[in-house]
Amino acid sequence: MHRAAYLAFDRFPSAKGSAVHIRHMAAELFDRYGGGLLCVLGGGELPAYQREGAVEIVRFTDVVPNLLDRAGAFSRWAADRLAPHRDTLEICHVRDPWGALPALSTGARLVYEANGLPSIELPYHWPLAAPSTLAKIRELEEHCLQEADAVVVPSRVILKAVADRGAEPDRVHLVPNGADPVPADVPRPPTAPGRYVIYVGALQPWQGVDVLLRAFARLADLTDLTLVVCSSVSPARARPLRRLAERLGVRIRWEHQLPHADVAAWLAHAELSVAPLTAGPRNLDQGCSPIKVWESMAAGTAVVASDLPVIREVLGDHGRLVPPDRPAELARAIRVLLEYPDACRDLGERARRHVEDGFTWKHARARLAGVYDRVEAH
Amino acid sequence: MTPCAVTTGFFTLGKCGQMAVAGCPACGRAVCADHLADGGLCPECAAARNRFGHPSAAAAARRRVYRQRQAQYYGDTVYYSSFDDYDRAAFEPGAAADQDYLDDGDDALVDS
Ligand SMILES: [Zn+2]
Ligand SMILES: [Zn+2]
Repeated sequence: MHRAAYLAFDRFPSAKGSAVHIRHMAAELFDRYGGGLLCVLGGGELPAYQREGAVEIVRFTDVVPNLLDRAGAFSRWAADRLAPHRDTLEICHVRDPWGALPALSTGARLVYEANGLPSIELPYHWPLAAPSTLAKIRELEEHCLQEADAVVVPSRVILKAVADRGAEPDRVHLVPNGADPVPADVPRPPTAPGRYVIYVGALQPWQGVDVLLRAFARLADLTDLTLVVCSSVSPARARPLRRLAERLGVRIRWEHQLPHADVAAWLAHAELSVAPLTAGPRNLDQGCSPIKVWESMAAGTAVVASDLPVIREVLGDHGRLVPPDRPAELARAIRVLLEYPDACRDLGERARRHVEDGFTWKHARARLAGVYDRVEAH
Repeated sequence: MTPCAVTTGFFTLGKCGQMAVAGCPACGRAVCADHLADGGLCPECAAARNRFGHPSAAAAARRRVYRQRQAQYYGDTVYYSSFDDYDRAAFEPGAAADQDYLDDGDDALVDS
């Protein structure tokens, strides 16, 4: 019988930033409540059931092709997993409406971590979704956010989106993402090219990797410079961008789905890390707290990133901001930083200190613990 | 020595690897003393059996449970039933923005 449950309509673990986030947030929850139940998506080699000490992990493994059906099936499955713990469950921590609905049905307190909002995010993957459908999804979000005892957001941008959906302001708490400091002596990856600029993350259109490729094509005269893309997705899913890179003749090296621990070394030995996010509504209205930026900073590597509110929040003046969606401007910023390696190193060092002083995962967990304190006190 | 083939770990998963003392009668995998669960099964098969009587009955039982629970469990059922076939059509696999993005069976609503 568990006192706490964490539900996520995400595969866990995975190579994505969301998995790093779930790892730390769930650890705080389970440490505090003497274990608990983790309900996540499975698939691949992941076992449907695990027991790790006082933590039980159950994974949803049904194959349901339609996303809405899959989300509904996950909710019903999760409700069944929670049912035996109804009498002891004190708190459920969720990341999406599909976890929030079954959690609400238990009567336990609800912490809703809003890293993104399906009503904003889904149209990017599912362009045929009708406005009336998105309105229903938004209604579902509003219901869950309004019912939650606490809403946790990683950035001020999404804080506003959540408030627009009726979450009570005094129940919304800012818990920025973080990163753990990378040891200064982390060894260089054996296959790393001499001098390289790095991109880490997923490859959806709003990540702006195409902008980075176009910028890099303008740096062809820097013949000792390679672009390394550490993709959190498989080579198959990188196909369109790989084709674009070939067409542009970019000197590029693809690393796919590296273990999280290896990415830190790639980041630490890069000249620069680039976060070329686009200026679409996904990034402007919903925001995020891009883990790649936090991790680059923690590795002491200077960051060049799109000038968006959500990035300014993370990077402050510890990085170089460039206008989004402008390959020429991005290329120029990269070139200038490479020409001044001392300034570049200094920027990276300052970023690292900024993270160490307030934005490690330990700090994030302490902020989350503060949220649990308040939820318990009410 | 036959190593235990049970997957362990929270964020970084691996095989347990301790010396196995039995084979799971349901799936055949080698299991160590620590991972030996009820009925001499591996933890995964034991969990499935506890839930549904027998692993092979699991899928059918689950489908049955879904249908029943869908109606009785939720005060929130209304939110599901409000998605009709027109809403659902946009979320068929063929309707995704870019087929190349779907190869991993990516379920996440939100990517970081
Ligand atoms: Zn077994
Ligand atoms: Zn074992």
